[in-house]
Amino acid sequence: MLESTKSVPPATPRSSDLRGGKDRMHVKVYAPFKTYYDGEAQSISALNETGPFDILPRHHNFMTLLSECDIIVRTDKGDEKITINRGIMHVKKDRVIVFLDV
Amino acid sequence: MKRPNEIEREENAMGTLVELTSVFEGIASMRIAQIKNQVLKATQFFDELWGIYSQLRVDTSFRFGRSQVEEDEIVEKELYIIITAEGGFSGDIDQKLIHTMLQSYDKEKNDIIVIGHHGAVQLAQRGVSYQKYFKLPVKDQNINVTPIIRYVQMYRSTTVFYQEYVSLMVQDVRRIALSAAVQAKGQRSESPDDIITEANYIFEPSTYDVVDHLERSMLHIAVSQLILDSKLAQYASRFRAMTASHERADEAKSDLHRLYNRAKRNIKDERLKEIVNGIKKSKSGAII
Repeated sequence: MLESTKSVPPATPRSSDLRGGKDRMHVKVYAPFKTYYDGEAQSISALNETGPFDILPRHHNFMTLLSECDIIVRTDKGDEKITINRGIMHVKKDRVIVFLDV
Repeated sequence: MKRPNEIEREENAMGTLVELTSVFEGIASMRIAQIKNQVLKATQFFDELWGIYSQLRVDTSFRFGRSQVEEDEIVEKELYIIITAEGGFSGDIDQKLIHTMLQSYDKEKNDIIVIGHHGAVQLAQRGVSYQKYFKLPVKDQNINVTPIIRYVQMYRSTTVFYQEYVSLMVQDVRRIALSAAVQAKGQRSESPDDIITEANYIFEPSTYDVVDHLERSMLHIAVSQLILDSKLAQYASRFRAMTASHERADEAKSDLHRLYNRAKRNIKDERLKEIVNGIKKSKSGAII
């Protein structure tokens, strides 16, 4: 099971981002010619040079180079697994963008 | 005058040519629609990535992601990359491109990399040597431009000569400095609303690693997009050439059909004339 390896200070919570009492964030995982996931999610897990990590809502601004792994996007409808070779993840204000094949 | 059956054979052959040019025209048109879609998708991706890169405050200049290349290993020449078609059937646009490139080419100051077999042949015919030849990628997605980027990083500066799609009937030859190409593509993206620094962001593995990787990535996307742009222009040029050939073949077929009708009428007229003459002669009591 993946576990968070980051101890990052949380960003200031914003009431507008708390939807129906549950924290959600927007996640987009895409390559130049294909979008793998674009929607709301509870969390996203991936792997970088340091190890496996999770991104949850209200995560601090974060930018990392992803290693070859399976990205897991946890949504209300279940988990989405996306196998990647490499990528760049950008996290800002509850918006996670993963650029693949770059 | 040719016999009608000979003309008929020629007309049939011309009919095949009309159908063939029509098929090529259709294929080119279909490929144009596909590639245009790819170019739009890639542009959107690039713009978003550039939006993030332009917010980073680490270095003032674009460094081509050269962290792995030592400064003294950099070749003090300008690299010319020319993107041409892989085969013929692409009209005269490749000749125009090579002509434009040779106007500023200096053997002492420039090295050439050719993408596309047609360009390599054209250069060989003109006696111009090139550093490396790459095949024009067949596929339109996930083009592997890493070997080309390795050359780009080795040189102080790079200029790309490529074909630009203006419209279905108009294609143009363009030259662009690669770092300017990356920045020009980025100018279309939204202005940064926040600045990204180590003070407000966590970078992993490090800030410089991320910036270096981003620069390389954008270089890859920019080169891939220039190749796609060129392919689009080549297909449009092919479409134009095929449309012209189709029209010419169609006209030739109509001319042959007219010629065939005339030849058949001539034969009928000759026979009719012979019959009328025979009747005249028999009426006048001549022995036939």
